[in-house]
Parts: sequence; C-alpha cells; structure tokens
Amino acid sequence: MKTMIKILSRYVLSAAAVAIFLLIINFTVLAAWLFQSAREYGKNYTINQMADGLTLSNGKFSLSDPIATELDQHQQWAMLIDGKGSVIWNRNLPSDVPLTYTLTDVAGLSRWYLRDYPVKVWQYRNGLFVVGDPKNSMWKIGLELPMKTMDNSRFWVPLFLILNLVTAVILALLFGLRLFLSLKKLTTGIEDLAQMKPVSLPSQGILGDLASGINHASAQLIRQETALNKRDNARTTWIAGISHDIRTPLSVIMGYAGQMEEDKALTREQQELAVIIRSQCQKIKALINDLNLASKLEYDMQPIRKEEIHLTPLIRSLAADVLNSRISDKHTLDILIDENAQNIIINGDSQLIRRAITNLIINSMKHNPDGCDIKIRISSGSKTALLSVTDNGSGFPPQTLERLNQPLEPMELDNHGLGLTIVRQIINVHGGTASFSNPAGGGCRVILTLPVLPL
Amino acid sequence: MNDIFDCKLLLVDDEPELRKMVGNILKQNGFKKIIFAADCSHARFMFTSEKPDGVLLDVSLPDGDGFTLMREFRTISAAPVLFLSARDEDENRLLGLGLGADDYITKPFLPRELILRLHAVLNRTYFPAVLNPKEKAVFYLGETRIDFNSGTVNSAKGIFTLTAKEFALLEKLFENKEKIVTGDSLCLAAWGDPLYGYENTLMVHIRRLREKIEPEPSDPMYLITVRGLGYKLVGVTLS
Repeated sequence: MKTMIKILSRYVLSAAAVAIFLLIINFTVLAAWLFQSAREYGKNYTINQMADGLTLSNGKFSLSDPIATELDQHQQWAMLIDGKGSVIWNRNLPSDVPLTYTLTDVAGLSRWYLRDYPVKVWQYRNGLFVVGDPKNSMWKIGLELPMKTMDNSRFWVPLFLILNLVTAVILALLFGLRLFLSLKKLTTGIEDLAQMKPVSLPSQGILGDLASGINHASAQLIRQETALNKRDNARTTWIAGISHDIRTPLSVIMGYAGQMEEDKALTREQQELAVIIRSQCQKIKALINDLNLASKLEYDMQPIRKEEIHLTPLIRSLAADVLNSRISDKHTLDILIDENAQNIIINGDSQLIRRAITNLIINSMKHNPDGCDIKIRISSGSKTALLSVTDNGSGFPPQTLERLNQPLEPMELDNHGLGLTIVRQIINVHGGTASFSNPAGGGCRVILTLPVLPL
Repeated sequence: MNDIFDCKLLLVDDEPELRKMVGNILKQNGFKKIIFAADCSHARFMFTSEKPDGVLLDVSLPDGDGFTLMREFRTISAAPVLFLSARDEDENRLLGLGLGADDYITKPFLPRELILRLHAVLNRTYFPAVLNPKEKAVFYLGETRIDFNSGTVNSAKGIFTLTAKEFALLEKLFENKEKIVTGDSLCLAAWGDPLYGYENTLMVHIRRLREKIEPEPSDPMYLITVRGLGYKLVGVTLS
C-alpha cells in the first residue's frame, strides 16, 4: 500500500511537473518568437505617426525625413487618397498601383491587400493615408467572434485548463496503477526468490522480460540449492560412515590396550606403553565424535532437543564435573554468577550447551599446559544471558583470533581440532553469538550470548 | 544361578576381531559361559536354542539392525540387552524411541567400562537386592563416627541425631565423597527442588550439620565449601 501511494504520487507529481514545464517552455518560445519577428519587422513608426509626419504647407505635401528614410529602407510605399478617390500624394508608389479609387476599392483595401500589397490605412483630414509593404511580406487575418463566446471564455478557458489538468492526473494515476500492479507481482517474486521459494511469474506485459528473468533465476537457484543439499547430505553421510568404520577397529585396539594396561604379566614399561596406546585411541575417538558432531551441526542434521534450561545450575554442575574429574591440578576454575542472572532460563539443548562450555574450559587447559586460572561469569542482559569464559594464560594466537571472529566458514578445521568450531556452531543453533578476544591484561576471553526466556 | 558370573552371555557382532576381543575381556573378568553370533539369523538361532541370560548386541548387523532383533528377543524372554553402537545416530534413536534397551555403550570403549555396565545390567535384572542393601553405610570423619542406619553422629562432643534434611544432605555428600556436589543437587536431594531460593536455607542446614560433624565448625576440615559451586565431603574413612 505504501509503495502504491509512493508510486502514484510520484506519477502525478511528475505529470504535473511535465505539464508545467511544457507550458513554461511554450510561452517562452512564443514570446521569444513574437519579439524576434517584431524586431525583424523593425519599424520605428506606427501608421498614425507616419500620417502625422505628412504635412501640408503651401499646398504641397512633405513627409518628414526620418519617416521617409524609414519607408525607403523597408521598401515600403505610401500614398494619400483624397475624398474623391484620387491619389494626391505618394512616395515610392509602385507602378501597378492605380491612382484613382472608387468607394468599393477603398472598402476592399482598407483591411486587406491592394494588388497583393499588404496595406494599412489611417484617416488623414478628408483623405486616407495608405502605407504598403512589399508583396508577400505580411500575412493578414481577420478575427470575428460572437460577443457571447468572448463573454463565456472567462468561464470556459479556466474550465478547459482544469479539465486538462484533471485528465492529466487521471491518466497519470492509471499508468501509475498499472505500473504498480505489474511491479507488485515482481516484488513478491523477488521476495520469494530471496526465500528460495519457487517463483513463476506471468511473463506478459511491459515488464515481461524482467519477470521471465526472475523466473529463470529462481529455477537456477532452486537447482543449485538441491545440488548443494545433496552434496552436503552426501558429505555428512560419508563422514558418519567413515566414523562408524573407524570405531570398530579402534574398539579392538583400545580393548586390547586396556587389557594390557592391567596385565600383571607385563613389565611396568610395557604397561605404560599400553596406557599411551589407550589414551591416543581416546583422542582419536574424541576427534571422530567432534568431526561427526561438527558436520551434523553444520548441515542441520543434528537433532536438537530444546527445552527450558536453568542456566546457572547447568554451569555449576559442569564446573563440578570438570573439577571432580581432576583433569589437572595446575588449573583453577571459578564460577561467578551475578545476582540478577541466578534465575536465567534459556531454551536450549542442555547436552549441547554443556558441550560448548566444556569445550571452552578444555581449550583453555589444553593451550596452557603449565596452568592458568579459568573464570566463568554469568550475567544478564536485557534479553540475553551473557556467559564469559576467561583465562589468564597465553591468549589466542592472532591468526586464530581473526578467524574466530569471522563468520563461520563451512567445516573449518584448524590444527587444534574442532573444539571452538563446535562451540560457535552450538551457539549459532541457539540463536546466540560468540566473540573471542585477548583482553589487555593477558589471557583470552570468550563471550557467549544466549537469548533468554522471559521469567 | 549364584552370581552374575553364572549368566550365559550372547555376543552378537559381525566383526570377528571384536568378538574375540570382547570374549577375552569377559572371560578375564570371570564370565564363564559366552556364546557368539555374527549376524541376525545366527543370533536368532542361538537365542532360542541356548537361552542366554544376557545379550551384548551390535546395532548394525549385515542382515538387519539390532533394534529390530531386540524386539524379537523381548517377545521370547526378558534377558537384558546391552547395545554396542558405533554411530551417534544410534544414541539418538535409543534415547528418542525409548526402546527399552537396558543400556548401551558406544564404540570404542574401555574394557573396564564394558564390564562395569554389564555388571550393573545383570545385577539389576537378577540380583536387584544387591543394589539396595538393607545395611546402610557407617563411616568416620577423623574420630567422629557417622551411622546412617541410626542416623546418629558420635563424636568427642557427644552423640547427635541427624534431622531428616541433614541426613539427606550428608547422604548425598557421602555418595559423592571427595567430589564437589553442587548446591543445586544438594537442594534437589533435601527438598526435591533445585537451588533457586534455597541458598540461605541450605547454608543454615550446612552450618547445623557442621556443628554436629566438625570438631571446629567455624573452620571445617571435612565438609568443605567450594565457592560458587557447592560443597565437598573429604577425609572419609570407612570402618
């Protein structure tokens, strides 16, 4: 609706502007033309001034010099006809102009032409002063209108103008409406296109080419989307298949290593080697699990079981689990929960949230093998829960930091595994954000935001 | 059947090396009767002819899947089934469908893990009393003797009786001795509710508990506060 009003008002405005502009141009050109032709005509004296310039003295007519010069310059001629119809004075009179005139002749020449010479007449005492221009130099028309018409024109002319204006506006509205209607279809088409919905617009009308272009783009997009989905599916299935195939032989290795670890018949050194084999197997296991989870999260194939979670007990319990598992004596873990964040509830998959936070803790431990202090702080924003995991260790390497704060690349693998990628993916599927930084005082800081449910 | 080691176990897996390895583990851990099957049809035959007391079942088998096979077994006998799964999706199905599997373990697994789970499953099915002993724990914190049977604390300061809440808290801490127990799970144990709003009440009860079990309640040695998380019971000696 808003767009329609916009389009229509633009149309009406531009139509009005065009009309006004044309009027102005027309009047200007007309005025210029009239002015120019008047100049070309170039006469300094009107006929009555000329008549006044003819004086009678001592029974002899004489024309004042400037007027005579003017007449000569413009190849005009002049004559004076007396009351009886004879020419009693003339200047430059062409030979084909008669010297006597009847009443009928005078009536004819008074307004139009005399032998094709355009003439003007002015009364002069008891005679008629006539000035003639060269042949074919003037066009003379007579205008006669009934008085009634002229009276009514005061009413008709404005009405005519208003009628013109109304017609212009109505036409503009109609054209605008038509454009709007055809554009509207295209707009919905483009919106659908952006949402990957199939688009099929009628390709007639003025915007037909555009419509068929959009149809084509839509078909192309959907084809590509299908192909991409197929490939993504294939990749995830492939990764899942490989993981499955690796797990069974890995079970055998891990099983035997586990047995050898406890085999009293072996020497202590041999048992320690078995421990190494077993722990390396566990690393491979973790890696396979990560790879699987990351590929599923990326292509939305991981079932997310969202429920209302109280965030703070979850964090406390995972912190207790980390501390209880005694992964390391060199690292400390502190939990700080703001008073107003105590009762935060989020809608999420508790297993995945747990996984994300645990990954951050383990990441800090792994990259600071000589120990560091890890702090988790939960605070509450207006509509989000803020969860920061900070340590005072070595911080993120600059390149890692740059990559972590860029949009998630498809399946990025760095040389430290998929831990942080999974964190970002998990926060993503929960509609939150993850930002990574190295604070000024050293160490690293990860700030997660998660949308909270209203209490 | 005198104990779980008399149970006859059926191991179904298509990988011969894995069968051999698991069979080894089971034998080393005292299980005497172990039978094997490599696929569904063989497993069906063994199940009906040998009537095993427990089944270790691979989820993906060459001629079918373990879930369907388990449903068939369940129509014949109530023998517990422990799944061996190699795919994350299996976990989702196990949790999602509520198939009634007794337990599952994801490959690769540690021998100890497998044995622990198997013990639990078999005990639950055949010797449920073993898991719920009538006899409750008796333990010492230094010189102080705590008896959960009578709910009493016997220390140099005298004999105290534990209130119901103190008992619940101490029992929870004792079950997880040497480990941090979050305030949330303590409240859940004592009041059936997580922490929200119970912090002060919990602190009051912990203080009273300390007065009974600690020689110096203001400077606790056994019931330690873990700031921000909860509490931890340390220095427990049994009998």
